[in-house]
Amino acid sequence: MLTLAILVPLLGAFALLFLPNACEQTTRRIAIGVAAVPLVLLLIVWARFDTGAGAAAFQQVATVPWIPSLGVAWRVGVDGIALAISAMSAVLFLAAIAWPAETKQRARAYYAWFLFLEAVSLGVFMALDLLLFYVFFDLSLVGMYFLIGRWGHDDAPRAALKFFVYTFAGSLAILLAILGLSLGSGSLTFDMRELIARQPLAGMDVRSALVLLGFVFGFGIKTPLFPLHTWLPPAHVNAPGPVSAILAGVLLKMGVYGLIRIPFSMMSATFARYALPLGILAVISILWGSLVALGQQDLKRRIAYTSVNHMGYAVLGVAAAGAMVASESGRQLALTGAVVEMVAHGLTTGALFLITAVFWQRAREYDMQAYGGLAQVAPRLTAAATVAAFASLGLPGLAGFVAEFQIFAGTFATYPWLAGIGLLGILITAALFLQLLQRLFFGEMQSRRASFADLCMRETLLLGVLLLLVVAIGVYPHALLAVIDSASATLVRSR
Amino acid sequence: MLWMLVLLPMLAGAALFAAGSERRAWLALVAGATMAAMVLLATFAAAGSWHGELLWSPMLVLHVALTPLSAAVALLVPAVALPVLAYAAFHEERPGLRRLLALLLLFVGAMELLVIAADLLTLLIGWELVGACSWALIAHQWRDASRPASGLYASVMTRLGDLGMFLAAMAAFAGSGSFAYADLAQLHGLPLALLTFGLLLSAASKSGQLPFSPWLFRAMAGPTSVSALLHAATMVAAGAYLLARLQPELSRVAWFAPATIAIGLTTALAGGVVAIVQSHAKKLLAASTSAHFGLMFIAVGAGYPAVAVAHLVAHACFKAPLFLAAGIAGQRIDGYTLARMRLGHALPWVATMSGVAALALAGVPPLGAAWTKEAIAAAGGQISPWLAAAVLLAGGLSAVYAARFQGLAFGFGDPPVQAEPPHRIERMAIGLLALVTLVLSLLWLPRIRAALGELLGVVWPASDALALAASLLLAALGLATGYLLVRRHPMLGQAGAPAAVADWWGLPTLLRMSVSMPVLLLASAAARADDALIDAAPRAVAWLGRRTATRIARDDDAVVDRGVRATETFTTALAVFGRRLGERIADGLPEGAAALVSLGGLDARRLQTGLSQHYVAMLAIGGALLTVILLLGS
Repeated sequence: MLTLAILVPLLGAFALLFLPNACEQTTRRIAIGVAAVPLVLLLIVWARFDTGAGAAAFQQVATVPWIPSLGVAWRVGVDGIALAISAMSAVLFLAAIAWPAETKQRARAYYAWFLFLEAVSLGVFMALDLLLFYVFFDLSLVGMYFLIGRWGHDDAPRAALKFFVYTFAGSLAILLAILGLSLGSGSLTFDMRELIARQPLAGMDVRSALVLLGFVFGFGIKTPLFPLHTWLPPAHVNAPGPVSAILAGVLLKMGVYGLIRIPFSMMSATFARYALPLGILAVISILWGSLVALGQQDLKRRIAYTSVNHMGYAVLGVAAAGAMVASESGRQLALTGAVVEMVAHGLTTGALFLITAVFWQRAREYDMQAYGGLAQVAPRLTAAATVAAFASLGLPGLAGFVAEFQIFAGTFATYPWLAGIGLLGILITAALFLQLLQRLFFGEMQSRRASFADLCMRETLLLGVLLLLVVAIGVYPHALLAVIDSASATLVRSR
Repeated sequence: MLWMLVLLPMLAGAALFAAGSERRAWLALVAGATMAAMVLLATFAAAGSWHGELLWSPMLVLHVALTPLSAAVALLVPAVALPVLAYAAFHEERPGLRRLLALLLLFVGAMELLVIAADLLTLLIGWELVGACSWALIAHQWRDASRPASGLYASVMTRLGDLGMFLAAMAAFAGSGSFAYADLAQLHGLPLALLTFGLLLSAASKSGQLPFSPWLFRAMAGPTSVSALLHAATMVAAGAYLLARLQPELSRVAWFAPATIAIGLTTALAGGVVAIVQSHAKKLLAASTSAHFGLMFIAVGAGYPAVAVAHLVAHACFKAPLFLAAGIAGQRIDGYTLARMRLGHALPWVATMSGVAALALAGVPPLGAAWTKEAIAAAGGQISPWLAAAVLLAGGLSAVYAARFQGLAFGFGDPPVQAEPPHRIERMAIGLLALVTLVLSLLWLPRIRAALGELLGVVWPASDALALAASLLLAALGLATGYLLVRRHPMLGQAGAPAAVADWWGLPTLLRMSVSMPVLLLASAAARADDALIDAAPRAVAWLGRRTATRIARDDDAVVDRGVRATETFTTALAVFGRRLGERIADGLPEGAAALVSLGGLDARRLQTGLSQHYVAMLAIGGALLTVILLLGS
């Protein structure tokens, strides 16, 4: 089932390339159809997922031998965390692919790269083999590089290159760390479940610290964690909206997900020893991300920096959960919160970046000073942006609150000071989003914006679905929390 | 079922918005009917002790329940909102009226959620939703850019207080592993202190206490009906209500009572002076709101939460009609400058109703608000007679600005101002609220009071004849002072030192200089630093990388190129050599061949056979050599 969820978009991507030149409309429809398959499959997996106490941690596991001599195999499977993030990614990919895009007369290539990226991204979240994980992790860079470089605007090739080189440096660190981890595990294996059970490197001080550093550096770049975040703004600013949505919504998640899946789970003793510095880094990310976002005049840069802030919350939750102090329930709350933050941020920031696409498509400008009073001509856009902004600033009743409340409540039990200082982030975020809404939509409308078109049918529908999910999670997150809790309880209890 | 109290107004709001009609009567009907249904629901809920819970996850469970105190407030909210919403439907401007009513309904629902909450998570949800609604309501007339800016100001300032509630929830969870009010009793030491600090912070910010009071002025950018609701039964009321609701837990901390009393007393006195010198009708009322909530804080601090709630109810019933009256007056003169109003002749009904409410604001017996003020003084007297005296002084200030408001807004100008009368519904809304203010006079009757105390399960503080006399005297003095101010200094507060005091003693400027501007400067500095400094490290790495690459490329030029060139030279040399050799051979071949031929010709006669083989062999050798030379030479 999961294998199919990866293979269908991958094959779809290749099939699109060999399609005789179909028109853009047809190409998009095919791409949407293909992108819907993983979502349907994941929903089936979700329905069958067993959250009971005695259930296996990883379910729907499929194994096909690949390089037996190295212990490498095609191993896929999901626990509650992977399932939640994969499902969110599948939703966001479908929305981004269905979003009316400017394909610059290269529709087939555009949608093919998108499907390719979907396949490898889902692969990252579903892989249960370290090497397979790494392969997917790297391939996702390739897909994103081409999408930014070829379909971006302005300085896109440069931004894409910076993105690629920066994150590729990170993935090299991860590769070294993976090798260090696997070689330290006695008999060579890349099976994640095996490695989680074995906890290799436990008690090897320097080496385990170095391996952890490799992971934190590599995943920290991807997350991105202060001070490794500077590749993010240019990549976002120059990328087309739907690509930005995927970059923020899906690719950034690979960083935090990787942290949870690998160092958090496989070297819990070492992780616990260095959890405090990681938590401090996360709090700096929270504050720095929100402060710098407040200082931006460029719409897209502002939203891009809020990702640094939000991922800071997630990492803070992971760090607090990883420390082996304080109560189990507090740490579980923090970890569950971190995962909900990833889901919430994916949907919310995905929606926000799709909204920026509307601005670029209509007016070719991201400078907030160049707008104002748009509520007059674009009430639907205003409503969507308001809901998304409030979700992003953590208003109760919307998804972000469910995440941030748990992260803070859980972290406080472990690191009260960090939680207390981090709280300031939600104040600055409130200021910066309300100011954003005020500048774009309220006040006097500039006359040149009189022809600014409101959301079209398709845009309304797509944003509506994303934001409806945000509201649903905010009001009654029981289904989501049950799935995530099943995994975070296991992870926290096993330490 | 208790959830219906929250869901009903929210769903009604959504439905009202979706229905799309902007007809005033329809909007008033839907909103009014919803509020009436809520009053009924709240009554049944209180009688049947309804409660509910919603499971998010085993650790996050939302609880709602009613105590006698919260039932009183849960009833108050829709009861006050009913006339205010009906008024809004007929008073406010047309474009966006449907959105306004929908938001007001949502606002009421969120307020009810925080009233019926029985755990900190549910409380926080309602608390923040109320704040978000207030942003949307203050920014309602968004075409004027200053209004969304005011909404932002109010939201950020109250969210600063919300952080306190986050802190309280975090501390409660760390201390007891739960968010429920029921488990707060398990808290001791630091978690309890943090809980108390956090809740006091958030209550002070919501209730417009110092130093958060300026946001209430900025909130005046919203429509009048919003102000009326915000000050009477929602948002601002939340702070005092929360402290009253959780007073039994919070008072276990030794510093809770002095801190709460200090905040409340400072705000009551400072706010009273601000209201006296205010020249803007709505801001005068706003400052008085802060002052009266200061009195409620004193009551909670003194250990009488029920007295605070009683004053909350009385305040709601007189403050709402005052705002509604100010709204009508403001609409007539197109502004809220008190000195320009004097609409007594033009709006007799509004003036009369406002007069009743103003007397209640002044604390004149036998109105109910006078009794609740008396009770607060009595409660304060149990701590110290000085505190009682301070409360009575605050009551005197209240009388001054009440008289000044009434005299300036609805006094009789000369010549009489003409203005069109308000709509029937507007008059009814104000009248209804004034009537309730009158009915509350029953609180002076000991039997009613005793029955009420029994219902709420509380004992009222014993009153004191001396204090009552002092209070009457101060109220009379206050009214006289107010009257004199109206006569002698109608322009008070428009310029000079009074104007500075009128703007919360310059606190907004101080906050701007010391908080908001530094933060904004820091933000833009951080933004620059992020580009210049933080990105410098990766840029330096990239630069180093590029330089290394360039050097390698140069080395590449040097080494590889040399190799290539050497190869080339070698080849050329070989070719030259080959050519020379080739020339020799090439020349030699035909010559040799010719020689051979001649030789052969000479010998031919002798050797008739065998010569052709020699000839072919010679040609083959020559051809192969030529081929090699040609290959090399090319």
